[in-house]
Amino acid sequence: MRLPRFDYLEPENLKGALDLLSTHRDDAKILAGGTDLLVRMKKGLLKPKVLISLKALNELSYINEKNGYIKIGARTPIADIVASGLIKEEAHALFQACEKIGAVTIQHYRGTIGGNILQDNRCHHYNQSEFHRSGHQPCHKDGGKICYAREEADRCNSTCQSDGATALMALDAKITLSKINGERTVDLADFYTTDGIMPFAMESHELLKEIIIPVQIAESAYQRLAYRSAIDYPIVCAGVLLKRSDTQKNEIDDARIVVGAMGRSPLFLAQASFSLKGKKLNDTNAFKKAADASMDNASTFAVHNVGSTLEYRCAMVSQMVFQALKEAAQAAVAAKG
Amino acid sequence: MEKIEITLNINDKPCEVRVFPNDTLLEVLRDELDLTGSKESCGEGVCGSCTVHMDEKPVRACLTLAMEATGTRIKTVEGLANGDDLSDLQQSFIDHGAVQCGFCTPGMLMSADALLNENPKPDEKTVRMALAGNICRCTGYAKIVEAVGHAGNPQDHCPDCKTKE
Repeated sequence: MRLPRFDYLEPENLKGALDLLSTHRDDAKILAGGTDLLVRMKKGLLKPKVLISLKALNELSYINEKNGYIKIGARTPIADIVASGLIKEEAHALFQACEKIGAVTIQHYRGTIGGNILQDNRCHHYNQSEFHRSGHQPCHKDGGKICYAREEADRCNSTCQSDGATALMALDAKITLSKINGERTVDLADFYTTDGIMPFAMESHELLKEIIIPVQIAESAYQRLAYRSAIDYPIVCAGVLLKRSDTQKNEIDDARIVVGAMGRSPLFLAQASFSLKGKKLNDTNAFKKAADASMDNASTFAVHNVGSTLEYRCAMVSQMVFQALKEAAQAAVAAKG
Repeated sequence: MEKIEITLNINDKPCEVRVFPNDTLLEVLRDELDLTGSKESCGEGVCGSCTVHMDEKPVRACLTLAMEATGTRIKTVEGLANGDDLSDLQQSFIDHGAVQCGFCTPGMLMSADALLNENPKPDEKTVRMALAGNICRCTGYAKIVEAVGHAGNPQDHCPDCKTKE
């Protein structure tokens, strides 16, 4: 499969990249690992005039801890995150998620964490070859007015299948977006529009620079379901964070439950998370209830567009959340020592 | 749009080629340099038959721009053997009957070679994890996993290892 034509630019530093990005704006795309971007370009889903390569920007590849925050450069390869003791220790859900992204030989050395967060939403009616799509009217995401995933839907119902974003949202991460005359830091949870066509609330001249994870005295876990353990995207995934109470050591002070691959963005389920407040770490019944509430809440967003039947995926939300909660609780009990 | 002259370090030899910005490393290897060992199968990074090493790490040549490969050391399946002298891994693939139609084999070899460079005596699970990104449609993963596990590490219980001697 040939790639469409484009101009290739290789800025030497971040400032150069931002300059180019502000000049070309919508005509340009940022090329980091390329494991998602080049596939979409090959399928004719994207035809940027210019690719701005981050090849020389080693300044965006780092993992460090400072003042209670873990900072990860957006161009850090997945392999570096999997190999990092700091991430495994302090942000276990992210470690588990990165380990399961694609396959080692595809994403782990070329693919980056920034690219994983910014991987475009998917839908099995949209992510097809040009030939396949030429057989029918274009869908919303393809510039048309039809949704094949949900009848008579007036907007795009594509699904965010990023492993990294789901785990990071559970860890309450923030991201920093840079542009030529400044930068801003936003909660990952506020970074999403509810629009499947352009799921990210970022401008065309902004560049994802850094991911910031607060270090908390808490345990996190990530569970995913996919047809094949490697290569495939998740059809359901869940990231959770359990924070122990300072006074009552076996009580949950705060919880975050995030379900991925069900909606247009990873879904932070406030109601289910809140229901765990004050519950005991060994209270399996409370976990079961929170998992069922997650299933009810997440199901309203899902459409039948990423493989497996909708019924199965919805049922498995509860399983994934339950298993992740159990795993995090076990880790919290063990950490208590 | 015009061609750009770049230098690639392939199998420890510098190669000067003229490429379009939208040429992938795989297209340059196969069409410009006649290194047709690496195969194109799916072309979208799923199957693994185009796997090559960049700085000793396995990557998909079909999802790597040739321009992005400048300044790195690239090793293709042609770089495994030393002249006519096959590497232990290649010989092990032959001895264990790990090659059926052979289309996935170059990718399998490169993924396995990267694993063996890091871990010369991997257990079965490690081998399966390392090869998880390579797809064989002849169904024969068992022989491939065995061949990788026994490469340069012959097992007494394995009849295929014995035939070698």
